Amino acid sequence: MADIWIGLFSGIAFGFVIQRVGATNPQKMFLAHLMRERYIPQFMLLVVMFAAIGLFALEASGGGTTRPLPTSIVATGLGGIIFGIGWGLSGYCPGTCWAAVGEGRMDAVFTLLGGLAGTAVFAHLHEALIPVLYMPTNIGQVTLTDLFGNRGVAVGVLVVLFGLSILLIGKLWGNENG
Amino acid sequence: MKESGNAPYWPILPSAIALAGIMVFIFASFGPPASSSGFVTTMKGFFLQFAPEYAANKAHYRAMPGPGSWLMAFVLGMAIGGFIAGRTFGQQITDIPAIWAQRFGTSPAKRYATCFLGGFLILFGARLAGGCTLGLFLSGSTQLALSGIYFGVVIFGIAMLTTHLLFKNKRD
Repeated sequence: MADIWIGLFSGIAFGFVIQRVGATNPQKMFLAHLMRERYIPQFMLLVVMFAAIGLFALEASGGGTTRPLPTSIVATGLGGIIFGIGWGLSGYCPGTCWAAVGEGRMDAVFTLLGGLAGTAVFAHLHEALIPVLYMPTNIGQVTLTDLFGNRGVAVGVLVVLFGLSILLIGKLWGNENG
Repeated sequence: MKESGNAPYWPILPSAIALAGIMVFIFASFGPPASSSGFVTTMKGFFLQFAPEYAANKAHYRAMPGPGSWLMAFVLGMAIGGFIAGRTFGQQITDIPAIWAQRFGTSPAKRYATCFLGGFLILFGARLAGGCTLGLFLSGSTQLALSGIYFGVVIFGIAMLTTHLLFKNKRD
């Protein structure tokens, strides 16, 4: 039962912040993808930078539950391509569309319904698709720590990589805000 | 005007610190946050009600908790958070984004049908990859997972390409 209240509280806080920063506005998302709006992509990368440092500190103090997802060269990549087309068409992703439905956007309601249909179709085909597309190129739960040998160094590499991307987006993207 | 920043939206630096704080709270109190999984939980709830044997036999539903779980509460919370934030926000929302209306007109049917298709694809793709923008890219990269960074590069690249083709980069 405690899980439900913690989940509800976490969701409300999450939904509130992503609405306030404009991530639930498909106009901003379209402009971001057209390289005319820099704030949404920079925001997403900043979140990862701060959260990675926060999680590192949390785990150093003995807390936190992590579950890094495995990488399947084919399924993660193909899933990303299908996802990217849908994101580019609608301007929503699975999380933002829940918050946008709450905000009262009708196009988000249709995105959510499409999402439920897509989920049902994938779940129906799971047994046929996963062994063919996911398993053969599954290289396991690889993390940057495995590549660099040390968690602190890996966090540093991530922060530098994402920080440089944020600067690059600032140079190449416009500053319209929808 | 050029330097007006992100107004009326919150500036991104404090917002990012706030959202990262919420994510770290979720890692501390539950585990990696995810939202496309909430769609599976919703559909599992639907099938548990109307076709319980089907829900019990499909691997994708067996792997995910049903309603009455953190995941269900989290996505419903997101909608409530969006509702509260929207109700207390200065800017009016639109059902059809302005850039869409310029290119395709104000027909709701066209926009809603495209969104249904888009929603179908984001969830089909997310379930194949194992997560979405939150579960795979944000949570995954925070845990330094290669899958999250790989997925992030692909979704940004393909979404940018798709949106460019959709709007043909038309000047307004």
